[in-house]
Amino acid sequence: MMQQPSTPAPKKYIGKATSRIDGTERVTGKATYAGDVKLPGMLHARILRSPHPHARITRIDTTKAAALPGVKAVLTHENCQQTWSSGAAPGGNIYGGQPGTRRLFNNPVRFWGEAIAAVAAVDPYTADDALQLIEVEYERLPFVLDPEDALKSDAPEIYPGGNLAPNARNQKQPETYRRGDVAAGFQGSAHVFEGKYTSSYINNAQLERRASVATWKDGALTLYASTQGISNCQAHMALDLGIPVDKVRVICHFMGGGFGNKNQNHDFDLLAAVLAKETGVPVKVEFTRKEDFTAVHGRWPTRQYYKVGVSAERHVAGRAVARRQRHGPVSEGHGRHLRRRALSVSERRDDDQSGVHQHGRVGQHARSCLSTGGLRHRVDDGRRGVQDERGPGRVPPQEHDAEVQRRDALHRYSLETCVRRGAEQFDWKNKWRKPGSDTGPIKRGIGMAIGNILSGLGRSGATIRLDANGRYTVFVAVTDIGSGAKTTMALVAAEALDVPLSQIDLVHGDTDSCPFSVGESGSRNTAQTGRAIIDAADSLKKQIAEKGQPTGAAFLVATATPSPQLQGVTRSTFCAHFVDVEVDTEVGRVRLLRYLACQDNGRIINPLTSVSQVKGAVTMGLGMALHERLLYDSRSGVPLNTGYYGARVATHLDAPNVEVSFVETDDGYGAYGSKCMGESGIIPSVAAIANAIFNATGTRFTELPISRRALMEARA
Amino acid sequence: MKRFTNVNPRTMKDAFAAIGDGRQSGRHVSVAGGGTDLLQLMRERIVTPDVLVNLKTVQSNKAIAASTRGVTIGGLATLTSVSSDDTLRKRYTVLAEAAESVATPQIRNVGTLAGNVCQRPWCWYCRNGFKCFKNGGNACFSAAGENEFHAIFGGGPSFIVHPSDTAVALVALDASFALNTVRGERVVPARDFFALPTVNPAVENVLADGELLSEIRLPTARAGVKSSYTKVLDRETWTHAVVSAAVVLRMEGFDSVATRAWCSEASHRSRGRCQRSTGCWPASGSPSRSRPMPASWPSPTRVH
Repeated sequence: MMQQPSTPAPKKYIGKATSRIDGTERVTGKATYAGDVKLPGMLHARILRSPHPHARITRIDTTKAAALPGVKAVLTHENCQQTWSSGAAPGGNIYGGQPGTRRLFNNPVRFWGEAIAAVAAVDPYTADDALQLIEVEYERLPFVLDPEDALKSDAPEIYPGGNLAPNARNQKQPETYRRGDVAAGFQGSAHVFEGKYTSSYINNAQLERRASVATWKDGALTLYASTQGISNCQAHMALDLGIPVDKVRVICHFMGGGFGNKNQNHDFDLLAAVLAKETGVPVKVEFTRKEDFTAVHGRWPTRQYYKVGVSAERHVAGRAVARRQRHGPVSEGHGRHLRRRALSVSERRDDDQSGVHQHGRVGQHARSCLSTGGLRHRVDDGRRGVQDERGPGRVPPQEHDAEVQRRDALHRYSLETCVRRGAEQFDWKNKWRKPGSDTGPIKRGIGMAIGNILSGLGRSGATIRLDANGRYTVFVAVTDIGSGAKTTMALVAAEALDVPLSQIDLVHGDTDSCPFSVGESGSRNTAQTGRAIIDAADSLKKQIAEKGQPTGAAFLVATATPSPQLQGVTRSTFCAHFVDVEVDTEVGRVRLLRYLACQDNGRIINPLTSVSQVKGAVTMGLGMALHERLLYDSRSGVPLNTGYYGARVATHLDAPNVEVSFVETDDGYGAYGSKCMGESGIIPSVAAIANAIFNATGTRFTELPISRRALMEARA
Repeated sequence: MKRFTNVNPRTMKDAFAAIGDGRQSGRHVSVAGGGTDLLQLMRERIVTPDVLVNLKTVQSNKAIAASTRGVTIGGLATLTSVSSDDTLRKRYTVLAEAAESVATPQIRNVGTLAGNVCQRPWCWYCRNGFKCFKNGGNACFSAAGENEFHAIFGGGPSFIVHPSDTAVALVALDASFALNTVRGERVVPARDFFALPTVNPAVENVLADGELLSEIRLPTARAGVKSSYTKVLDRETWTHAVVSAAVVLRMEGFDSVATRAWCSEASHRSRGRCQRSTGCWPASGSPSRSRPMPASWPSPTRVH
């Protein structure tokens, strides 16, 4: 039975806006990021990259580069066969042993910017000069960029056997999900809507470029990495290098963002490790900003075909989805997201999803894999067709309710509350007008969209030590990718131990001193590592009760690595976003005048950083909705608009003042009822903006971004 | 980035000497004002100087000086100093607004007026090192490629769009530019400074090899003149203008206009132009289908 959310009782330390515990270090430049690490005798590496989207290297001569004074090592596919798996083997299975298994250097190369060679030298300029001396002859091979062209029978093959990316079972077949009689659902529908929706390649665009410093001693590797998870980075480095996990130490004390593409280990980590081993001294690999935008993955672009049947009562009677995701030459993962238990909109589903290999950038994790814009959009389209006069926000909340009630029990369902509260705060009822009501060139419109992201539970670890001075040291393997995780962890510890924040020291970001952590991906750190802190604190408190406070040089130590499970329920974050836009149809400009995000992220541990998380997510969504698109020159396969300027990542001036309203709940799971935060805000944002543009102009745009060009073309 | 020798001259004389020395020894010399544009070109190895003459250390050529004959602005005045200068804001508003609209505060604090006027095109083919007219080749890849932000007027054989905001304002203001070499100075009107690609598609202006734009001269601001700058961008900031307009307008006499409904030839043409440049993306993506700018076309909407 579904339970209605109730506002949780306030706690002593959590739930109060708290500045970041590392804020001073960050803003004064004292924080040491991977790129700041300098070790004695350290070399610098630079990477030569493919100027072609698909080519066979027929000759590579590094003699002149190696002879340049200051150059200590040159690696190419000829002398380095190091595997770079990192979840990137076909099917997403590490070491799948399939033809697509990725190495640091591949021949043939399969996208513009793929690594051809790496040089380690006494300084980055010497390394860069050496790259110019490497002689490479290529046999250019035919290439394909468009994912649907790539599926044609005469398309150039990225790997033998066709360009469909393998599914979770390593079969070159789409991932499918069928439930109920979809045909009957359509037959019983009052209206059936069909449409094609496309989304574009989005850059993760984190400020901190990719950087890694590696050093070896007695067969053990120490890696100063820029990673979202030191534990999984450590495990995958060990796997790739073929050494025991305890021979790898990963250190990451400060992170400058990742948004999904600094999970596991990466080529820069492995290159640093291999070059350091080769030269016997520490090596730093640091990408240029351009490499940061081209050599690694961002959000995959999609083509999505939807067919949605809507009953006279406006329920979704059936839906069929075919989705093609452009994966580049490697699948980082395999598009299993369709199978995730996302908020269902229909009993009857016929979903078919596949990744498609092509000769472009690798596409994958980027701040919520679910936020590809299409589905919500499409379903809203369907509904609106039936109920033009009533508008999107007037869809009675019970309808969302009904959708969910048909699913297995969703714990503490609060979407209805988010929609209702958001609509009230936004004054939806008085603001709503028929789509395209403004006759002048400047048109106002409002839109809303709902979203959810499952907030599961799982394993993570924490250790707490109490000394005789009454100081508590919390050991957690977080790196804090920018979310404020260190502060959140310290707050959870303060609450669990019932001591002020000032009595807590945090040791983080070092696999030598911290227990396993799930890492900061999937927005799960607070719920999972936070839970581990609470369990460790409980255990420590028991010890204190039994043994008393430690004295002298003695310590009390407690460790917990819980793996909590949800008992027969599904747990989710819910969001309802509302936006007011102004569209200047004469110049094709969209301005967001007001943006309200109403969210249930469970209990809010730190309102200050939580609000920032939602604001950041919405700003990324804005870029996806209106601006970002990776353009390739179709004749050469060269990406044209890389980097912050070219990619048109949204700036502060583009971002509206996002009002964030939390519907707080505590379901007893996670850390004090906390649910996932970081990714949630982006999920409804794209559809909310698209719906507002529809409401303003009366024109439905089905291709992202809804750029100035698209708006002008629609007007013509 | 290729290794280079950095020279920090104290005076323009020293700068010209450094340029001369470098060139005489057969080395490639580049000159940096603020350096914000050059640095990116060097990183991409589109420009690979052996010697970099860094004008930031030159103490002169930064002043904005008003006199009865108008205003002179040193080429090394930063965009921030141009946009925040009281005289310019009040009497040459169009220039202050144009300078204020450039890029980001960080770039405006470092970037100079001369550098903004002389910056290289932001065509993505050019910036990605394609061997185009601008990079020593003899093709314009935009013609049959991605050309959403390329020229509709005045294109061919290159279709770059000049990226400078202040250039538009300076042409509208009838500014003139002092161009210097070690041998002396010549003065050219702003409108003659910028060159069409039909003349030489490799460059965007008439600067001779080794010549520097050292000073910008504005004529006396006449009483009653109002001016303004506006541009259409793809987002709120930090992109170059899709279309921009500088208006310098002297209002005198009547408040009203005509004896009957008046169809103005000039405004009609301007309107047509504006629509073409904001509203028209050729479906074929080929700018070569568009017409070149007529020779008699007026410089940006100007009514003196």
